[in-house]
Amino acid sequence: MTSVANEIHIRARERAPFSVMIILKSRWFLYAVSLTAFFLIWDYVAVSRILGSAMARPYEVAVQLNTMMTDPLAGKSLFGHIWASTQRILIGFAIGAALATPLGLLMALNRHISAVVKPLFDLIKPMPPIAWISIAILWFGIGEPSKVFIIVIGTFVPCLLNSYNGVRLIDPQLYDVVRMLGGNRGDEILHVCFPAAFPAIFAGLQISLSSAWSCVLAAELVSARSGLGFITLLGMTLSRPALILGGMVVIAVVAWVTTLLVTGLEKILCPWKRGVIDI
Amino acid sequence: MANEDKIICEHISKEFIQKGKQRVRVLEDISLEVKQNEFLVILGPGQAGKSTLLRIIAGLETPTQGRVLVDGREVKGAGSDRGLVFQSYMLFPWKTVTGNVELGPKLRGMSNKERRKITQHYINLVGLQNFEKHYPHQLSGGMKQRVGIARAYANNPEVMLLDEPFGQLDAQTRYYMEKETTRIWETEKRTVIFVTNNIDEAIYLGDRIFSLKGKLPGRMHQVYPVGLPRPREHTDMKFLELRHQITEASDLTL
Repeated sequence: MTSVANEIHIRARERAPFSVMIILKSRWFLYAVSLTAFFLIWDYVAVSRILGSAMARPYEVAVQLNTMMTDPLAGKSLFGHIWASTQRILIGFAIGAALATPLGLLMALNRHISAVVKPLFDLIKPMPPIAWISIAILWFGIGEPSKVFIIVIGTFVPCLLNSYNGVRLIDPQLYDVVRMLGGNRGDEILHVCFPAAFPAIFAGLQISLSSAWSCVLAAELVSARSGLGFITLLGMTLSRPALILGGMVVIAVVAWVTTLLVTGLEKILCPWKRGVIDI
Repeated sequence: MANEDKIICEHISKEFIQKGKQRVRVLEDISLEVKQNEFLVILGPGQAGKSTLLRIIAGLETPTQGRVLVDGREVKGAGSDRGLVFQSYMLFPWKTVTGNVELGPKLRGMSNKERRKITQHYINLVGLQNFEKHYPHQLSGGMKQRVGIARAYANNPEVMLLDEPFGQLDAQTRYYMEKETTRIWETEKRTVIFVTNNIDEAIYLGDRIFSLKGKLPGRMHQVYPVGLPRPREHTDMKFLELRHQITEASDLTL
């Protein structure tokens, strides 16, 4: 049997000899430099009082966060507030994605459905989800449903757009392959549409998730008694910059973790993407 | 059986409608016959309608005039009696080598055990053993097209249609793949229609070369029988003579 070895390229990374320049040029070293500089400048801004008393030192933020873990704030510990925001996001995100993703697929697969939905969708699409807050509060009150509603709106648009485009952008020749092998329309959908649209759907979920975070914060700033948006608002009312900055840091960390979870899920569900995208 | 025509194209013309109403004629009055287990090469420069002709035979396009007969039956739509190999491979990136190759048998509802056997057989035939679990993005261009060939073969078609399958490969890999194509075809004979714009490739592979005139619409130019014994040598005197003859007659050298 013929060997195919002559077609394989093996890329071996050559090791350069150890030197100081290597460390100075190393990615990790530069990461450390960048972060250290950031915290030093932050600390300097706080200590020098350029912004008056409205800036807290990084150290004070850390102490504030540590206190909040044990001492309840407005009846909830830090984790209570994290969970309050996360819960809203999970519910809204799940509803929005569950509605929008299949609808996007259906629109891409059936031009009649597309013709019915598209004009309505194009009407809603350019509107920022936060624009719905006032009417949502009028409709659903200041409780949980209005916040979840905003998140559903914020999730809906990117999810639908991505699953729709994910199917629309498939190379039509892939359908030809299935047809030449004796497959029917059902086989085309099963073997081409779904798997091909998967990465786009996941990209949509990622965008939706960050949109959901903006939405939950905005909703909590307007009316809430818990959540990370509420913490930052409380910090503003009480004039406690450490509380505001602490809230912001926690928001960043939690949003980052949820994004990682979706990325992880994509890696599990789309094994063929492994090693393709490497940032 | 051996001398009967497997594929007959009768006066095929094809027009596309571009930008709403502008009509573009890509093929004009093409008639050709392919014998059982014959290796026919369709040779022509770019924009001569070669791929369209192949897609019409595949049943993916309908001719504006004329018809295609396979085994005496008119072609109406795609079918698994013909296997198509694409210029741009068209592998499913989400399927492994095995997953790609076994799709045909799977769609036809073949049992697991039998499917495994056939899939492995064709993976071995194209020389991709030990790469069964690789995804297409992990393969080189030549290996990808091997998967494309194995996928078409695994569905056990009576006719293999190859649309400039090595157009994207570098010269060396291309030459190697041409050798492989001959080997695979000699191992498991099929009626083959192979589209190319490369004269050397045409002479190296074909029993017969059907050349198209350049520039749209594509029209029949000439038919050259290649009476050379296999395996062929690119430097063989007769090879070069035929090459010269085709080059002289065609407007390939633009």
